[in-house]
Formats: sequence, structure tokens, C-alpha cells
Amino acid sequence: MIDTFSILLSHALLFVACWRLLSRPALNDERDVRNGAAAESGAPPDA
Amino acid sequence: MSATSETELLQNRVPRPMRDLFFLAFLASMFVMGLRRPFLFVLLYAYIDIVSPQRLSYFLLNSIPISAIAFAFAFIGWALIDDKRDSRFSWRQLLMLILLAWCGYTTAGADFPIDAASKWNWVSKALIFAIFLPLTLRTRLRIEALALVMVLCASTIIVGGGIKTILSGGGYGELNLMVEDNSGLYEGSTISTVAIAIIPLIFWLARYGTIFPPDWRVRTYAAALAGACLLIPIGTVTRTGLLCILMLGALMLWHSKRRLSYGAGLAALLLTAVPFLPTSFTDRMGTIRTYQADQSASTRIEVWRWTLDYVKDHPLGGGFDAYRSNSFAYDTVRSEGEKTSQRIVREHVVEKERAYHSAYFEMLGEQGWPGLATWALIHVISLISTRRIRIRYADRTDSGHEWIAPLALALQQGHIIYLLGAIFIGIAYQPFVFMLLALQIGLSTYVARRRKEEGKTPIFASGSTQRGAAA
Repeated sequence: MIDTFSILLSHALLFVACWRLLSRPALNDERDVRNGAAAESGAPPDA
Repeated sequence: MSATSETELLQNRVPRPMRDLFFLAFLASMFVMGLRRPFLFVLLYAYIDIVSPQRLSYFLLNSIPISAIAFAFAFIGWALIDDKRDSRFSWRQLLMLILLAWCGYTTAGADFPIDAASKWNWVSKALIFAIFLPLTLRTRLRIEALALVMVLCASTIIVGGGIKTILSGGGYGELNLMVEDNSGLYEGSTISTVAIAIIPLIFWLARYGTIFPPDWRVRTYAAALAGACLLIPIGTVTRTGLLCILMLGALMLWHSKRRLSYGAGLAALLLTAVPFLPTSFTDRMGTIRTYQADQSASTRIEVWRWTLDYVKDHPLGGGFDAYRSNSFAYDTVRSEGEKTSQRIVREHVVEKERAYHSAYFEMLGEQGWPGLATWALIHVISLISTRRIRIRYADRTDSGHEWIAPLALALQQGHIIYLLGAIFIGIAYQPFVFMLLALQIGLSTYVARRRKEEGKTPIFASGSTQRGAAA
């Protein structure tokens, strides 16, 4: 029971983290984001 | 993992089809996401290496070489798609490459070829991944993502371990950390050290994270996870873990601006916590002072002596698992009976094939002086380099740089805690630690590149960038 809770919690957070990374251009190239060229509306602040 | 423990593990496993299906679905979703962002394959490999889902499941994943597939995808994704303009090969990666080659050489002439080949199998993978990993850590977000995935993966073991400690109190070798083979991160002393070493990283993620931006939920979870980390050494009743906690407290005090008030707070917390600690923990911690009576501590000292003698004849090491040729006899001394009529009992103990119980002696015995020197050099360079970054960026609070010094500090503190724990545990090749090293290398190359870019920035650039170039 405890093990299942621990596995579910950590894996849910891992999944959400990876899901959020999909919509982050700064994962591959942050220069554009840093220079303000990619100031996308609603995007989280990148680097 | 040895062939024997693999067999034992299979015998001990209880079929859990739902768990198998869950892991399969999780891995499949990660693979699909990886097709969109190949860097996620790197994270997937790190996940598989740390959590070992194939060991938590019963049948489905055992038949698929998920680790090899994830690495192949990670490497192909990097080689074919990833931008390599920003990738740098550092001196530390070169040293790891030399260490890898040296381990291969000692394995070829190992004292125990079969055992050595088995250990070489996982050590070489861990080293190759650690050499490859920094090449992919090109952006701040990638560094953060790896740190987050490492912490969350470790939390799979730590959250359960923490809850079980609260409910049962644990006990040395008793706290069931999901798998019963007691190897890798699932080994009590190892997870104790790693759990304490990642606490600074947890707080860094809670403060500077952008994947889970700081809010009350993130802060609450971080505090709860750090609490669970502190419970692991209590649950597993490992003395090394206690030393690591003390070291963490000292390091945090050292870098704290309000040392006196934090020190008083920590001391008060410690005094309040002691009555609540399980007796199994306080009893075992008491043996730190009476190590002469303790077989486990005496064994360590004897193995270390044996290793020093061994390398006199074998300065180039005996290959992996060279300790198997050791055997020694020693006396333990303990006092028995009431205080008024105490008698000293001396016991003769004969032991053989005892593991090194220290990463330093593990490296010395297995890889000889050249291996120990290379390994130590990797750690020393990392400590110096990360410290330099911390000092250089300590005053940079402008947006885009404010996270660098705190991350360097968190990594440095985690590294020092590891090096302390490594005195008493054979974790010289622990993959999780190699990933921590890769994170430090990634941070160094990232910072060097940023400085180079800022150096190229024209004189009429924005104020914050100019300050960056001047720093």
C-alpha cells in the first residue's frame, strides 16, 4: 500500500514534469528565449 | 547485480500484474514524449537507471532490455537531431574515459574474472552514461530537468521509506525498500547517503525551479520530501547516514548568514527529536563510540588494512571484486555485566571475502593507485570547479543568473556529503553519483559558454548582460 502510494506519487510528478517540458522551447535552445525573441504569451519564464 | 541475487530476487517476487501494467504504460508514455523531445530519452534512461522499474515489476519488463533501448534512443536522438554547437567535452569527461579504459584493462586481468565481468557490465554503463550526459546538458532547463528527475526518482524509494519509518521505526536491514535484493540505491547505507546528499538540491528546485514554479504546494512537498530524506537514516539505522546528517547541518550552518539563530534552532530540533527516535536507532548510534566491540566496524578496519597490504604487491589493483581473496582474524573487545561487576569479553572473529565498505578502498583494491588517483582527481576537480562557480556568481542576483550560485552550492554540499558517506560504503561507481558529477560538469560547461557569449556581447548591450561580462 505504502509502496504503491510512493510509486504513484513519484511517477505522477515525473509524468507532469516531462509533459510540461514538451511545451518549453528553452529545453533545446534558450538563446532565443533569453534574447526575448520568444516571449510567448503565457509561457513560463525561461532562463 | 550478481547472478545469485538475480535468482533470489525472482524467487522473492510476488506477482503484481497491475504494477507491471502501470510501469509499462508509464514507460510507453515516456517513449512517446521522447519522440517529440529526444532529450526526454536521456531523462528516461536516468529514470530506468535509478528506479530500476524492471526490478519492481514481476514479469513484463524483465524480458525487455528497456535500459539498452532507452540509451540507444537517447544517443541516436542526440547524435542525429540535437544541436551540438554548444556541446563541450571537459577534462573531467576525459578522466572518466581514462577511468573506463583502466577499469576495462583491470577487468581483463582480474583476480576473479567472472565476478569482475559482472561488475564491469554495470560500471561501464554508468561511466559511459556519465561521460555522455554532460554533452546533452546544453540549457538551463535541461540541467534543471535532470536534477528534478533524479530527485523524483530517488523519491520513489524515499517517500515509502519515510512513511514506513514513521509507522514502524524501521531497523537495520529491516526497512523494506520495495525490493529485497538490497543492491543499488535500494541498499540501506547507500540510500541514506544519497537521501541526505540530495536535500540541498530539493530546496534549490523548490526555490528556483521553473518546471514546477515555486508556490505553496511545491514548498510543502519539498519540505515533506526533505523530512522523508532525514527519516531514511533513522529507518535504515545506518551510522553513516547519521554522520551525513551532521555534515549536512554543519554545511548549511557554514553557508548561513544567521549562523547563531540557525545553530540554536538546529540544536533545539535535535534535542526534541532524540526522545522520539526508535531505540533501535539510538542503540546502534551508540556503537559509534564503542567501535572496538562492534564486528561491523572492526571488519571495516581489517578490510582496509588488508587492502593496503594487497596493493603493496598489486599496485595496479586486482580488478573488480578483488576483495574476495581476503581473509583475516581479529579480536573484538566488549564489556559485560553490571557497572560494579563488569568483565571484559574478548572474542576471536575469523572472516573472509568481506567487501571493502569504503569507496576509497574499493577503488584502491580494485583499480590500484592509478584508478584511485584518476577517480579522486575527477572528484577534486569537480569540487574546485563548482566552488569557483559558486563564488563567481554569488553576487549575481539579476534575472537569468540568480539560480547559478545556489545550484553550485547545492551540488557542492551534496558532493561533500557523498564523499563523507563514501568513507564507509563501497559506492565508488554508484550511477546516481556519476549523474551528480555529470550535473556539475554540465553546469560548468554551461556557465563557461554563457560567459563566452556575454564576452562577445557588444558594448551597447543591456545593463544586466554587461554586468555579466564584467563578473
